[in-house]
Amino acid sequence: MKQIALYGKGGIGKSTTAANLSAALTEMGLSVLQIGCDPKRDSTRMLMHGSWIPTVLDQVREGREATITADQVVFRGFRGVRCVESGGPEPGVGCAGRGIIATFQLLERLASLTGDVIVYDVLGDVVCGGFAMPMREGYAREVYLVTSGELMSLYAANNICKAIARLAGRVRGRCRLAGVIGNAAGQAREEPLVRAFADRIHSRLITFIPRDPVVQRAEINRMTVIEYAPDSPQAAVYRGLAQSILENSDLVVPTPLSMDDLESLAMEFIPA
Amino acid sequence: MTLNPLPWSSYRLDGCTLTGALSVTTEVRDGVTILHGPAGCAQHNASLIHATLLDHDTPHLLRILSSDLDEPGVIFGGEGALAACIREASRGDPGVIFVLSTCVVQTIGDDVGGVCGRDWGIPVIPVPGAGFLGGGFQDGMRNALIALGEQARAGGFCSEGTNPDLGITLVGEKNLEADVDENYAEVSRLLALLGERPGLRFVRGMDWPSLGDLARGRLNILREPELRPVGEHLAERFGTPYLLSFPVGLSGSLRFLEEVAGILGTDPSDALEEERGRQEEALARFGDLRGGRIRLTPSPSGVPGPFAAELSASLGLLIADDGVPLPLPSPLPVGTAGLVRLLHRWRRALHA
Repeated sequence: MKQIALYGKGGIGKSTTAANLSAALTEMGLSVLQIGCDPKRDSTRMLMHGSWIPTVLDQVREGREATITADQVVFRGFRGVRCVESGGPEPGVGCAGRGIIATFQLLERLASLTGDVIVYDVLGDVVCGGFAMPMREGYAREVYLVTSGELMSLYAANNICKAIARLAGRVRGRCRLAGVIGNAAGQAREEPLVRAFADRIHSRLITFIPRDPVVQRAEINRMTVIEYAPDSPQAAVYRGLAQSILENSDLVVPTPLSMDDLESLAMEFIPA
Repeated sequence: MTLNPLPWSSYRLDGCTLTGALSVTTEVRDGVTILHGPAGCAQHNASLIHATLLDHDTPHLLRILSSDLDEPGVIFGGEGALAACIREASRGDPGVIFVLSTCVVQTIGDDVGGVCGRDWGIPVIPVPGAGFLGGGFQDGMRNALIALGEQARAGGFCSEGTNPDLGITLVGEKNLEADVDENYAEVSRLLALLGERPGLRFVRGMDWPSLGDLARGRLNILREPELRPVGEHLAERFGTPYLLSFPVGLSGSLRFLEEVAGILGTDPSDALEEERGRQEEALARFGDLRGGRIRLTPSPSGVPGPFAAELSASLGLLIADDGVPLPLPSPLPVGTAGLVRLLHRWRRALHA
């Protein structure tokens, strides 16, 4: 079983990438489980044709964790992709990080963490130990950074490198950086910048996903690109990404950059 | 007199802010204290305090509730659990409800002050602390005393108080100390020499309406110097002068009389003469100790200081490395009576 986690700055396109990746993997005949680890609970929505599925923490909130069954939290979407959303508290109260930990414990107890590939789609930044959960305890060994060429997106990706390096140094730490997925924001010289960033942290660019209006059209129609426009060039990019990830065995402990180095790197590619 | 064979350990200083705050709030006998957090925090602290009081033969029913924060409470926030617990506490019609926060509710950011600030029909007072995050026992105790002090004001929950004959307030008695009531008796005896007596015991065996007395005192006597922030707080709020500590040592007891008299504007001459006579008489009763060689075991709070030097010199004891090991209690004994209790223990050790 391959377990991968997608991390990156909020709004950078992690969920879109994750959903299309899961759709492409399931097209290849693989059993896929996608877990959205974000209180926004929108990771799997395109796989579920726009439905907001009940979350694991909804069940906990209702006090049903003792009697909960897998079919109450695991839902089948596009071509049988199994979809889970952790959910979380309302903004400003409680502890969403603890919610992620509780979600994993519950899914473990329900023996739901199965399949050929598990895709963890995690909230924007590793703000606490709870959101590092997919990297810990032997869940996702392969972490992919999703980033554009925007400085703050690279900054978030660099921060996540710090978390990976820290967790990899633990006695039982097995998570590694598997690569960088570029998701275009549309700025000039963006792909070379993301590639250079990947090199500097001693990783590599797996795929650079170009901007394409078909992504927005697919979302308006509540579908992944793979389902909405299966013959489009963009769908081919996602399929290529899926293939690259399946074949990838190049896992590293990254070397995060200092803020000065990161800014210098950006200045090489971004016009002043 | 305590029968505790280990007098230097007869008082607790360990634990988190909850333990210190509870040692204060549970002495408001018509109050209820809520520990907002996991049930284990309440169980541990209630058990610890109950066991200590039982050990000192002074048990009383501890009115403590837990908001029983569980995993969903941590994830989704515990304010609902706290509100439910306050409602439950209110049903017993207490005079006041105190709310103490544990580490976890501080960590997840519950708005405890906001919940307490709703209109509950009775005072609901948040005591700052946050378990271990807020510090240790002494911090919790200070926080609780200051939080209570904030409530004593004209037009507040208890504007008038209950005692028309006010004057001297004892602040921060160590309720988990084995000798707490013996110490109270000694301070009362010394004040009586000046024609005074303690009024409010802030806080020991107090009921909520009597808190108003705090605002009308002429003098606050702190139990120990660590409570200076409380003394300052009360001085600022009510203009009440304070003494930094209960009397400690021979000269310290005399100085206590002088300072109280100085603040109250009375003549201490007769009181000083009487107390000197009492001290001489007490020392004479322990004349058999003269010439004994002793080695003082430092108390957990520090090395032997002026107290030990004065006492050993007064008794003609020689401090030497090969002397009989004798413990110095922490806190040090209060007044002349406390010294006498200590000397009884020393005599047993020297003649053993």
